[in-house]
Amino acid sequence: MVCYAMNGEPLRPQQGFPLRLMVPGFEGIYQIKYLRRIKVVDRYYMTYDDYGHINPDPKVTALTHEIGPKSVITFPSGGQRLSGPGFYEISGLAWSGTAAIKSVEVSTDGGRTWKSAELRSPALPMAHTRFGLHWNWNGQECTLMSRCTDALGSIQPTRAEVAKYWNQPLDGNFRVPGADNSVQPWRVAADGSVHNGLA
Amino acid sequence: MVWRKVAIVAVTAVFELCQSAWTQTPTYGVGRAPTPEEIRAWDIAISPTGKELPQGHGSAKEGAAVFVSKGCGGCHGASGSGGPAPTLVPSKGAQPAMAMTCLAPCVNDSNAMAIHSPFATTIWDYINRGMPLGKEGSLTPNEVYALTAYILYKSNVVKEDDVLDAESLPKVKMPNREGFALPPTWKHGAPRLQGYP
Repeated sequence: MVCYAMNGEPLRPQQGFPLRLMVPGFEGIYQIKYLRRIKVVDRYYMTYDDYGHINPDPKVTALTHEIGPKSVITFPSGGQRLSGPGFYEISGLAWSGTAAIKSVEVSTDGGRTWKSAELRSPALPMAHTRFGLHWNWNGQECTLMSRCTDALGSIQPTRAEVAKYWNQPLDGNFRVPGADNSVQPWRVAADGSVHNGLA
Repeated sequence: MVWRKVAIVAVTAVFELCQSAWTQTPTYGVGRAPTPEEIRAWDIAISPTGKELPQGHGSAKEGAAVFVSKGCGGCHGASGSGGPAPTLVPSKGAQPAMAMTCLAPCVNDSNAMAIHSPFATTIWDYINRGMPLGKEGSLTPNEVYALTAYILYKSNVVKEDDVLDAESLPKVKMPNREGFALPPTWKHGAPRLQGYP
C-alpha cells in the first residue's frame, strides 16, 4: 500500500509525509517513509537497503521478512505500577504477519499455566488485535506472559523454545534469529512495580 | 451557543467541500510529471547484472588517488581500516561472518563489503548512493569505478591494473558469492518455516 493519510488526516512527518509504503505483515524496515520511488525488478538486488536481510542460513532468511504470531501485554507492562492487590484487567495486542489472530493465552505464573484471553477487537489478517483478561492480583511477585496463535496454527514461542530449536544456549547473549516474535514476560514485583522479565 | 452553532456549520461545510473534492480526485494544482532526466537521477539501484551501470571506468591506481583526494581515510582509516566508519579493507585472512551481527557493514573485518558482499555491483551502488557522507551523489561514475577497484584490489579480489567498467564490474567473482541464501519465494498464507515453533 502507498499511504498518504492516516486516521482522517494527511500523514504526519514522523509517519513519512507525504507518502509511505505499507507492507502488512513484514517488519518495520520495509515500511519505507518519505517514499520517493518504486522500482520493480526481476531479481534480488542486495543493495545498501538489503543489507540487513541477507544471511547465509536459508532458515534464518525464511524467518527474517515476515513476522510470526506475536503478542505483548501493554498493561501491566514495564515501567508501570500496580497500586496494590486486587482486580485488574490485563490487556495487550496480538498480531501475525501471515494470518489473522485466532486466540491469545495469558499466563500469570511465568508460563506454568495459561488461560484463554478474550479478543476485544475484530481479528483481521496482519492487523493488531486487542486482547484482555480479568485478573485478581494477590500481591505476590509474579510473571505475566501472553502468547498467541494465528489462523495457520502457528503458536508464538518463548525464547527458550526458540533457543531449543536452534540448539543454542539460552543466555543473555541469545538473539532470536530472524524477526523476533518470542514471548515477552513482565515481572510484577511485590511492591506493584512492573519490570522487563528478560532483563 | 450561537458561535458554537456557527462553528459546527462551518466545519460541516468544509467537510462537505472535502468530500466532493475527494470524489472528483482533483490535482490540487501541485506537482508535475517528472522529466526523464529527473527519473534517471533517482534511478540509482544497481542490479547484480549491472544493467543500470553508467559509462565510465576506473582502476585501483586511480582509486587510490580518489581515496586520498576525497578524504575517505578520515572516517575509514588511511589504509581502509581502523577508523570509526565501517572497515573497507579487511586484514589478511578475514572470513565472512557466519551470521549477520548488525544491519549494515560494520566496523569489523568480517563485515567488510569486499569479503562479505556477494556482488561487486553492491559496492559500486553503495559508494555511488551513500558516499562521501554528507556529499552523497557528488562522485562521478569514473570515481566510483576507481574507488570500487581500489577497495577490491586492496582486498585481493581484483588486480591492481584491472579496469572496472559496466562490462567488467558485474563479472568480478566475489569471495562470498555463494555465501547467502536467497530469500524464500513468498507464498502468503503459508507458515514462515515448516517445523519452526
